[in-house]
Amino acid sequence: MSGTSLRKRGIALAALAAAGLALGAGPAAAQLKSYDSSKPSFWKNPPPDWFLGDETEGQKGLAPPVGPATPTPLAELQDNLKKIKLPPGFKIEVYASGIPEARQMAWGDNGTLFVGSFGAGSVYAVTDSGGKREVKTILKGLNMPTGVAFRDGALYVVAIDKLLRYDGAESKLGAMPEPTVVYDDMPPFVAHGWKYIVMDKEGAMYLPFGPPFNIGIPPTSLSQIRRVHPNGLAELVALGVRNSVGGDIDPRTGQYWFTENARDWVSDDMPSDKLNRIGRLGEHFGYPYCHQGDMPDPKFAMGHKCDEFTPPVLNLGAHVAPLGMKFYTGSMFPAEYRNTIFIAEHGSWNRHKYQGGRIVHVTVDPDGKNAKQEIFAEGWLTGAQEYSGRPADVVVAKDGALLVADDWAGAIYRISYSR
Amino acid sequence: MRPFFAALAAAACLAFPTAEAADIEAGRVRAEPCMACHGTDGITADRSIPSLAGQKERYLQWQLVFFRSGRRQSEIMQPQAAELSDEELRNLGAFFASLPRISPPPGPAEPALHEMGKQAAARHRCASCHMDNYAGSQAAPAIAHQTREYTAKALEDYRKNARPSVGVAAMNEVAGGLSDDEITAIALYLESPE
Repeated sequence: MSGTSLRKRGIALAALAAAGLALGAGPAAAQLKSYDSSKPSFWKNPPPDWFLGDETEGQKGLAPPVGPATPTPLAELQDNLKKIKLPPGFKIEVYASGIPEARQMAWGDNGTLFVGSFGAGSVYAVTDSGGKREVKTILKGLNMPTGVAFRDGALYVVAIDKLLRYDGAESKLGAMPEPTVVYDDMPPFVAHGWKYIVMDKEGAMYLPFGPPFNIGIPPTSLSQIRRVHPNGLAELVALGVRNSVGGDIDPRTGQYWFTENARDWVSDDMPSDKLNRIGRLGEHFGYPYCHQGDMPDPKFAMGHKCDEFTPPVLNLGAHVAPLGMKFYTGSMFPAEYRNTIFIAEHGSWNRHKYQGGRIVHVTVDPDGKNAKQEIFAEGWLTGAQEYSGRPADVVVAKDGALLVADDWAGAIYRISYSR
Repeated sequence: MRPFFAALAAAACLAFPTAEAADIEAGRVRAEPCMACHGTDGITADRSIPSLAGQKERYLQWQLVFFRSGRRQSEIMQPQAAELSDEELRNLGAFFASLPRISPPPGPAEPALHEMGKQAAARHRCASCHMDNYAGSQAAPAIAHQTREYTAKALEDYRKNARPSVGVAAMNEVAGGLSDDEITAIALYLESPE
């Protein structure tokens, strides 16, 4: 689950009451952690430190960093952006600030930018009148409303186990209507339960279902991607997926592509996080048996061989934490960017020297061949284990600029191009 | 970079003074009302009040955010924090974090209870986030050298959800599994874990 700044609020206390006992009595001396995640009891009563894993002596102390308590002030953001490196002709500026834990972004029909959040529990609307931007908190108190989408005047929000629809949202920013529950046949686990919404042209929504731990045999309702129709019917479209919090429809083919965070606690350099493509219904992407297309899990391979599974389109690197992604469909950037992919990498925590915390650019054929990546925007990583920001999502603006949501600094940036 | 744009960029640099993460001196000034209870050096005389000197900056700032929003409950701290701007809150955290951490005078030694606390802290794996010396990490506060009175109250508050966890921490869930006796023992042990 590389990178996601986990917040555990919301896991049923009842389920956790036994956690202290489950951890077992050990000697008083500090010991290495290990977990038996091979049994249903593990996810039925997950320990409080579920995101940790069997650690080595060298890995002791690695833990997700705590982000700033308040959004980064504008002057400091502007200072940070001076250190961001981009290809020639591109520039980055602050689009909006003061947006705690900003995650997925979605455009309303009339130019409102809706923004989900992580533990802040809020959904924001960024409005723009003549270049003057205003941030409104339009929804509060939701359970990790990381994913948002918009269609036919309605805002869709996914908050762990509820997909909600707010009709006529864009004209009701001051007082949002009561939501309609579109779909709630979802497990309540908060662990890797935060989601991303990708809407296809029929209005069906791709939703990821992550396993409630680092590695193990997950409940059959998890570790998959579903396609949920607006009427609440759902179909399984992919299996064997770990923590995915980003994807997009390929404008060339209509196929669903998605990013995936690989397991932690193997090593600094293994296994790699992935970019995947669903070529046909029901493909299995390997988790928990096989990682990065060629690495059987040391504990949970269960006799499977890696060639039984759909390999990644591209291995992006270990612990880079790819989250939101978009095919570039704008016309502002040079022609070679058209239909290529931008990925927001949130960056590491389970690695001694963090990597990621940047935007990468992937060019790839529609069938997944000839994939290659290059760094597009970097500079938010300011030390071995320090960030000034962490990209969590990207979206293409109407004018072709690329917006970047940063949940560490609580801000949105705009990357534009002029020759 | 073309000269015209270089000039613009230079002008932009002048327009915005180099941003600091937080201003310790401004924090010191703003902290004056805090010192009546938390001590002029961030070390408290009243054993029920936490010492803030040398505590982790992010942790302190998150606590003020929690008090301000009412997610952490305290009749004294909520009204104090309600008036704070984001900037003041950042500066206060930076100021208290910058002070040297000094152990408050320990309470009476109770070796048997100390040993029980040591065992309980190991059982509940406190050190895996708070580190082996309980001095904290980027993601978790220092919990060594706080008075037993305060630590016990903190654990009780976590247990009854009167305060939320910071970041990845799952203190409500961890404390949910603690007995009264364990809280007493852990709080005494952490006062002087050496």
